[in-house]
Amino acid sequence: MPTISKDDIERALEAWADHLLQGRAARGSAQLAIVGIVSHGDVLARRLVQRLTAAGCPALYGAIDITLYRDDLDLRGNRPALRSSHLPFSTDDLHLVLVDDVLSTGRTARAALEVLWEYGRPARVEMHCLADRGGRQLPIQPDYVAFDLTSAAADKVQVHLSELDGSDDITY
Amino acid sequence: MTNTYITNATWALTGEKIDLRMGHGDEPITIHRDGIALPGISKVTPAGEMQVPAGARQINAEGKILLPALFDLHATINIDGHSKRESIYRAGQAANRGGVWGMLVMPSRGFVFDNAATLDSFDDAVSQRSLATMVPAGCITEGMKGEQQAPYNTLAARGVTILSDSGNMPASLLMLHRAMKYAAEMELTFAIRGDVPCLSHNTYMHPSSTSYLLGLHGTPACAEEIGIETIIRLAKDAGVRLHVQTVSTAEGVEIIRRAKAAGMKGLTAEVALHHLLYTHENVGDYDTTFKTVPPLRESSDCAALLAGVKDGTIDCIVTDHTPCLPFAKKQDFVSAPQGMVGLDTFLPAIYTHLVKPGKLSWAEVVRACCTAPVDIVNPYDREEDVPVAAPLLLFSPDEQQLITADSLSCGTTNNPMLGSTLSGTVTLPINR
Amino acid sequence: MNPRKDLITINSLSDEDIRTILASTSAMKDIFTKSVKKVPALKGKSVLTLFYEPSTRTRSSFEVAAHRLSADVTTFTVSTSSVVKGESVHDTIDTLMSMKMDYIIVRHKNSGIPAVIARHCKAAVINAGDGAHAHPSQAFLDAFTIQEKYGDVAGRRVVIIGDILHSRVARSTSTILRRLGAQVAYMGPGPLVPPRQHTGIPRFTNWEQIFEWKPDVIYLLRVQNERIDTPFFPTADYHAAFGVTEERLRRIDDLNLSIMHPGPVNRGVEICDTAMEYRNCLINNQVENGIAARMSILYHLTPQTQCHD
Repeated sequence: MPTISKDDIERALEAWADHLLQGRAARGSAQLAIVGIVSHGDVLARRLVQRLTAAGCPALYGAIDITLYRDDLDLRGNRPALRSSHLPFSTDDLHLVLVDDVLSTGRTARAALEVLWEYGRPARVEMHCLADRGGRQLPIQPDYVAFDLTSAAADKVQVHLSELDGSDDITY
Repeated sequence: MTNTYITNATWALTGEKIDLRMGHGDEPITIHRDGIALPGISKVTPAGEMQVPAGARQINAEGKILLPALFDLHATINIDGHSKRESIYRAGQAANRGGVWGMLVMPSRGFVFDNAATLDSFDDAVSQRSLATMVPAGCITEGMKGEQQAPYNTLAARGVTILSDSGNMPASLLMLHRAMKYAAEMELTFAIRGDVPCLSHNTYMHPSSTSYLLGLHGTPACAEEIGIETIIRLAKDAGVRLHVQTVSTAEGVEIIRRAKAAGMKGLTAEVALHHLLYTHENVGDYDTTFKTVPPLRESSDCAALLAGVKDGTIDCIVTDHTPCLPFAKKQDFVSAPQGMVGLDTFLPAIYTHLVKPGKLSWAEVVRACCTAPVDIVNPYDREEDVPVAAPLLLFSPDEQQLITADSLSCGTTNNPMLGSTLSGTVTLPINR
Repeated sequence: MNPRKDLITINSLSDEDIRTILASTSAMKDIFTKSVKKVPALKGKSVLTLFYEPSTRTRSSFEVAAHRLSADVTTFTVSTSSVVKGESVHDTIDTLMSMKMDYIIVRHKNSGIPAVIARHCKAAVINAGDGAHAHPSQAFLDAFTIQEKYGDVAGRRVVIIGDILHSRVARSTSTILRRLGAQVAYMGPGPLVPPRQHTGIPRFTNWEQIFEWKPDVIYLLRVQNERIDTPFFPTADYHAAFGVTEERLRRIDDLNLSIMHPGPVNRGVEICDTAMEYRNCLINNQVENGIAARMSILYHLTPQTQCHD
């Protein structure tokens, strides 16, 4: 089973944070907010915010649970457990970066956009992800991808992060 | 009629194995020391000693138990939405399956036995449709409303010996006292369930951990016990025979025991089979099959009731057969009607749950279900002008039967034995 | 949590079910802080409130909860006359099934009615109070309120005071609190507190015993005279004997105990006027949490109405 190691992820986050730093000029006056989708995107978002802050570019941190906005609640036998969203600011006029671990069908991203709009009217929203495994079902494309796994037989992409799973790696 | 020979039957009362000849006998003969008259039996010998003529009809009763058929002193046969004839037919068929040859039929919505015409048409329907003897219990009050006494003289002339308002205690003790005094002259027996209606009003089960859990108001045991004490004192004062219906509490048994010990004559009592077998715990999660009046109580009450049967304080075990339509029983516990049916399964249930585990002997069963009820009712054939005597039945204790909705003949399925397997099947009449 | 169609009693839930619904209650409460207090989870679903007993508070709490989940809410008015006319619950169920409702929230004076409705229809049935049997949504909001105040329900001592015999709140709330590791005691007028061998819960009959027991929460029940045909006790005694008087409030304050009440409060009966302003009076928290708890319950039930057969 191919594996992306802890070190690979570390380097990818470094590059990811660099990319965000370089976008500073393009963002102009809009304040940057990194919003992760629970339960892995929020961990990545927190790590990115820490890196940005260390590099002298503070950004707002938020986490959203999109469960109540899923379009497949009716198709499931049971209801997934809910987690609290943490978005202690209005999204009005923010430059928002939505972060998730794996991007695939685009349905999670769609739900996330719906959540964000209930907190205000952001100036711009970008979609960033750690891994893109392809299989899009909606007209949603990422603005930044750390690992392109679209060519892999990728329906088994598993992201592990030490805060939640005890170790950092991606298997696929 | 040719003779039928029954060989190798085990006589329930003694355990002896006997051979019998049925038919060709003028007089019912009395077998053994138990003094039970057996019509239709012309000869009895120890097993193996009877000569069976070649070609005669012979029933080998090896492994089967011979006993008098049962008489149920408490059956309500009305089935809502069915004709009276259908209700009668169903009850008779169920009775035969359960080993019951005759029953005291309680007045009910369909059978208001407070006038001559109703009794006459009932007797007609029974003689045409019933497989079992059915003796109607006359109403204590007109329409069982608890207000005006029914015409006892008219009822007695139609053969009524027992009066009952079917579990309803008249609210006015004065009316009841006068009724008893009036009826005492006609040698009628009052069959009443001990109750104080204002204490049991709007209650649905025994006050217990189950009633707490289900949020159902409890029927205090003292309502029944005060009621029993009350009717005993009224009957004693009026000098009338009293039969206490469906005793359900340990203290109720004790009250009757004390009255009998004090020498009160004409006092008898019954327990419903379900009060010997079940407790409030059987109600479980609102199982309406187990909604009964009086309610199912504690296991200590079951034990005291059984002890009462054994020492003769409680004279009879009855079914308190009460058909309820499945639709009605599917309602919530508060709205659902009370009662269970038990005729179909009476003897097999008694055998499975009481005789087989050694809680009651066959002799005790015969006393409580055969001889004592007959003594209380004295069923009488007015056309032939003779007492009606109990037939015999054969019971096959080793045959198992699964009780299903289809196997019940009584017309409704509110039988607590539904889904369980009972030991024993009944052959009644014996030469069927 | 395993798929579950109905919520009839706390007893029917697993420990996991209880914890999941409580956890989601917290997430639901966060929704209130947004400018848009609404999520699309139950969009297109229909919720029916079927109240055979009047209750403005519980009914509107459920209605607000359903609206916040984007469901459509219909109020089925059961006139007392049709009940008197003897319309059976089965007839009502048939009517409801034809209406293709997804959720039915039912309150009835008879214990056990919601279970009968649940058995016979595909909609998810939520018991909003049946007789003296159960009131599970109240239990969840109570448990959540205590958890919010103390961090954890486990280890807390809660005394429930009042008419225990007729109270579905006492039954459901004591059950959930004990399942979550709290200790519960009952106190009230003698005839209204069932014996411990029936309830498994310690039974007190005066305040001294309560203070000795050292509770964290004083939970007062409403004195419901309307349900009692023959009086159980002299009501004139109630406040002095069992209520939170000014004097008892001072002791409650000294001991830093919380006060809860399912509402509506009879001031001067269960509770003195000033107790409503007491710093540890959690009654308003209960109302607010009621909406979140009911959202969580609605969210976690799965009607079988979308299955085709």
